[in-house]
Amino acid sequence: MSSDSKKGYKLEVWVTAICFTIVAVTGGFFSSIVVIMNERFYNQVPTPEQLVPFYGESMFVTKEGFLGFPMHYFWLIVLSWIGATVIGAIWCVIMDRLEQQQRL
Amino acid sequence: MEPRGEVFVLGLILSIVVLLISIFISVWARRFTRNLGDYYVAGRSIGAINNGLAMVSLALSLTTFIGLTALIIEGLYVAVAVYAAFTAAFIGLLLLAAPFLRRHKSFTTMAFISERYGSNTLRYISVVVMMIVSVLYLAGNLKGIGIVFYFLLGVPEVVGIVVGGLVVTLYVTLGGMYGVTYNQTFQTIVLLFCLMFPVAIVLRTLGASGWAFPPLGYGDMVPLMTQTVPHYFWAMVVHPVVYIAIFLGSFFGIIGLPHFVMRFFTVRDAKEARWSTVLCVFLVGLVNTTVYATGFAAVYYMQTQAVDIPTAAYDYVVFILVEALAGEGWLALAVAGSVAAGLSTVAGLLMIMGAGLIHDLYGALKPEVDDEKKLKLSYGAMLVVGILVILFSLNPPEFILEAIMWAFGIAAAGLGVPIVMGIWWKRTNKYGVGAGMVVGSLIAFISWIMIGYMGMDPVEIPFPIFAKYFYGPLGWIKVTAIAVPISFILTVVVSWLTPAPGEELQRQVDEMHGWSDYDPKRYNGKGLPITVIVLSIVVMWFMTTLYDMFPK
Repeated sequence: MSSDSKKGYKLEVWVTAICFTIVAVTGGFFSSIVVIMNERFYNQVPTPEQLVPFYGESMFVTKEGFLGFPMHYFWLIVLSWIGATVIGAIWCVIMDRLEQQQRL
Repeated sequence: MEPRGEVFVLGLILSIVVLLISIFISVWARRFTRNLGDYYVAGRSIGAINNGLAMVSLALSLTTFIGLTALIIEGLYVAVAVYAAFTAAFIGLLLLAAPFLRRHKSFTTMAFISERYGSNTLRYISVVVMMIVSVLYLAGNLKGIGIVFYFLLGVPEVVGIVVGGLVVTLYVTLGGMYGVTYNQTFQTIVLLFCLMFPVAIVLRTLGASGWAFPPLGYGDMVPLMTQTVPHYFWAMVVHPVVYIAIFLGSFFGIIGLPHFVMRFFTVRDAKEARWSTVLCVFLVGLVNTTVYATGFAAVYYMQTQAVDIPTAAYDYVVFILVEALAGEGWLALAVAGSVAAGLSTVAGLLMIMGAGLIHDLYGALKPEVDDEKKLKLSYGAMLVVGILVILFSLNPPEFILEAIMWAFGIAAAGLGVPIVMGIWWKRTNKYGVGAGMVVGSLIAFISWIMIGYMGMDPVEIPFPIFAKYFYGPLGWIKVTAIAVPISFILTVVVSWLTPAPGEELQRQVDEMHGWSDYDPKRYNGKGLPITVIVLSIVVMWFMTTLYDMFPK
């Protein structure tokens, strides 16, 4: 493998791995993180009328975030949509350049 | 929900217009089909914009209209998380598979697996997996068209299924992939228009200040919603592993769904494959976030205005909302959009089933048959498959979205894993893939039989070690968090323990990544397989260690 070829190969693999990790978090693991780190995303002091039948006293109340939406919900919909699109576009630009180098 | 009782003339007219335009497009596109390559992959001539739009309509099946909003009403945040993962999964498809598959020059997923691993046995196994996945995916969609006809247009359900089924069979048979592609492009435009505008009007009527942009336009309604329904945005309704299972099912399922993958074999080159996926994910996200807004509006409408929509009618809540808050003109548009959504998905599935049976199965069994005869047989096969599907759709599974989620799980374990490993690790061989795809897809399929078909309680299925962890809301989804990791582990371990594939098979990996030369060291390290095994074990371990931490 020539040095240029090796550089291109490593670029492809690492950029893909990084992009996939980011999009896996924003599109999938994000909600698991919300559940596990629930205190970061919710207030834990419900008023009586905010209690719901699911888990009674352990109910959490959402914190407000951006544009009126709770923080975790806003990030879920924005990152899984705009975030994913931007990551995809960045990856495409890098791969377009790599493809040009491969042709030379 | 009771049927309308009278024919909804405007809705019926618009739906018929959609059906007629679909047939017209197909007849027009027929002139481009001259050989087998034209029929199955549109002569590999489709551009990025056209392919991206076509993929959008494939992704947005009828469940977008009649399943997702129902799930949001019942599952709230979890339902949104399911579709958020589905949206982002297209980028997973882009990064791991799309452009590489295009360079491989196969016609279908099954052909790719067979040629990459040098095994006809794997071709037959993958055809079986493809048929299971496609039938599960397809069953609800045609039935859904019948439901739309029945409840909203006053036309008997059987008429809807038969007419919708015949139209789609006709245009797939006549136009082949050219007809399917141009139709899907048309249907995406119809769908975008017919969903976005009525929902914007609904939000305006409910008082949302950002109604002109439904995806993020209802923030000022949130405070009242959280007072009325405090758990609307609550992520803890399910065990965290459910979200990981949704991720695995979405990301590897979409790679494994053959009708999605087939679209990449139709584009001009790898670059077009890449950018078409970016366009697709943007538009799919736009529609899905609009549907989240619809689900929010439905719950808000019911809770704040004391409107009682019976549970049985949740599937039609989009139409109920649009009729109540926007008017019949907008309802007609929404109905036409839903018919277009149903048709496009059914068309894509018919196409892959016909290609699988004739090109992959018959072609492998009778290699001496020439392309001209295969083309003639393809027309006949497509017609027969279409009619069989119509008959099957007269009595499909009840809950459309659940069947599709099972299809994703089976596709992920059975076809997604072999595709990803075949592209990224040269050492993957036919023995590893055979073990992984058979065991992985069987775990998911047998679980579907027991839970989804026979209705058994997930924690009581005879599944060693893991069944007791399938508890709680959507607990059955955790099956995917077992099936996919096991498929990965078996693929890697068995490949490692058996002889490496020959150079001619390994060479394909370099070619798929665009290299003109061959280097045995590329895509052949130990980093990827070790990472895959470690992550797979961690996912399964995660499920068991959190057993007592979350409510059952």
